[in-house]
Amino acid sequence: MSKSSPRRFAGKSTGTVTVIEARVHRSSARNARVAFILTAVVVGVLAAVVAASYWHPIVALIVGALVGVPCGAAAWLLVRIWPVLRLLWWWITEVLLAVLLLTGWVQLAGHTPMVVTLLVVALVVGVPAAVPVIRRQVIAWAWCLVVRHRLRVCFAQFIIANQSGSLPLILWARPTPVGERVWVYLRPGLSAKDLEGRLDKIAVTCHASTVLIERAAENNAAYLRFDIKRREVLTAHVGSPLVDQIDPTAPVSASPLTVPTALDLPDVDAPTITLPAQGKPAGKKPAPTTSANGSKPAASSSAPEDDVSDWI
Amino acid sequence: MSTTVPAPVAGVPVGPGLSMFDPIFIGIDEFGQPVYLDVIYRNILIAGEPGGGKSGLVNNICGHGVLCDNTRLVLFDAKLVELGPWRDLADAFIGPDIDQGIDVLRRLLVVATNRYTWLLANRRRKLAPGDGMSVIVTIIDELAMYSTVLGTKPQQEEFSALLRGLVSLGRACGMPVVAATQRPSWDIIPASLRDLFGYRAAFRCTSLNSSNIILGQGWAEQGYTASDISPTNQGAAYLLAEGGVPRRIKAAYLSDTDIYNIADYAAWTRRPTSTPAGDTTGWEMAA
Repeated sequence: MSKSSPRRFAGKSTGTVTVIEARVHRSSARNARVAFILTAVVVGVLAAVVAASYWHPIVALIVGALVGVPCGAAAWLLVRIWPVLRLLWWWITEVLLAVLLLTGWVQLAGHTPMVVTLLVVALVVGVPAAVPVIRRQVIAWAWCLVVRHRLRVCFAQFIIANQSGSLPLILWARPTPVGERVWVYLRPGLSAKDLEGRLDKIAVTCHASTVLIERAAENNAAYLRFDIKRREVLTAHVGSPLVDQIDPTAPVSASPLTVPTALDLPDVDAPTITLPAQGKPAGKKPAPTTSANGSKPAASSSAPEDDVSDWI
Repeated sequence: MSTTVPAPVAGVPVGPGLSMFDPIFIGIDEFGQPVYLDVIYRNILIAGEPGGGKSGLVNNICGHGVLCDNTRLVLFDAKLVELGPWRDLADAFIGPDIDQGIDVLRRLLVVATNRYTWLLANRRRKLAPGDGMSVIVTIIDELAMYSTVLGTKPQQEEFSALLRGLVSLGRACGMPVVAATQRPSWDIIPASLRDLFGYRAAFRCTSLNSSNIILGQGWAEQGYTASDISPTNQGAAYLLAEGGVPRRIKAAYLSDTDIYNIADYAAWTRRPTSTPAGDTTGWEMAA
């Protein structure tokens, strides 16, 4: 935001950081001049053409000049104060909110006794603070206001866009369960690819955990969606809705299984452990006929005979 | 050890109200929104470290499948326990027996070919929900067991070739394939088979390279790598499906009790129903 305030002399005297500011400032002055000339000429000629149908052409020319010059001056003024207007526009939500709150407070204090005033204030502040749902909503929307300014800081401070220094349009923001989602319309000079390499820096500037960029429209590469994440939901336990579809008291139904009895290593004969890796018998370890605890390896009839014949 | 249940003759489910043509709920995305997956007309490859949560996703699809009307399951599970709870509900359940697996894949390919002939005769190219044909979902847990461990080399190659045929043929005739494995590198699964799977789910991997093998080359460089998933966060994955960009998701978790409850309920609603007249065996009817 500081970038928009003109600092011509600082820009001229110091090094690389302020070069852009000077350039931006110069372009602003030039733009204002161009706007003045263009508007004055176009409006003046139009006015003169219209006036020529009523008066003598020379009088019409003078009338055209009289109309065109003030219009050009208005355009010049608009372009010159544009940085200030832009600043006001950026903070319009906060300005309006502050005006609303202050007006409300003054009106309330002026029309009600002190006790009632305090009571109303306590209710207006206390109820949202006490009810968790409202509190979370208020905080989430407050973050939306904050994050739009933080994104603008990102673009202004380290994502140098184009020669005229125009910043992307930061559009609507709304809370998501994990943070905020902001829609941004890029200006010439930037692309989603440029921003992808700087996501970590954007996350830092937004005081967030991570930032993700997605295209918001299939047919417009300039229209992006920033997903700013502050909380992690993927660590949560996710239940399946299938559980609600069923009746858990359904009768148990399972086909009988022949459970093998050879559940320990000594119970299985050495030659039967032929897990073939790549088709060759992998009976690498000729197990001793008696194991360490002295138990005889039982000739397990429950070992899968059919499998063994297939494996070798 | 190989537990085989014969194909139930009365295997036409009429109780459940779900359909395989519905999107399947598989979890939430990183914004807390539910994630649905269209399994029909798609083949899914699920991969990641052991203990990453692959079976959770597989069981979600299985659980949806058993509660679906007019759906048949063909389950391959060399480990038995992951898909074992659904063994009575499946038309074929193949344990660590590659011969049986090859037989079933051959039958599936015959069914697929017959279905395409039927579609051709009906001047169509794709199966629609109104056709009345059953959806045959093939679910393979630990694909590597069949393609590298069990059987002889020719058998493994035949299995891979048949599976490649099923994956490439099954999409439009209502026979999707869901395959899970740990690391689908070329020495485990032929690259020609791997690349046929349109949807990918990458659970936690140890390296960028492993993640790239699952999701496809280049995603790790763009920041989509399953190696940044925390090892303690089981069920978190990158899902490459609709949208074309991997999404971080958390797969819904079904506990063992939930799985058996769903299986019991599905068996309850499927089995006691009377066999429709004229339908003798499931497989021929499906063809």
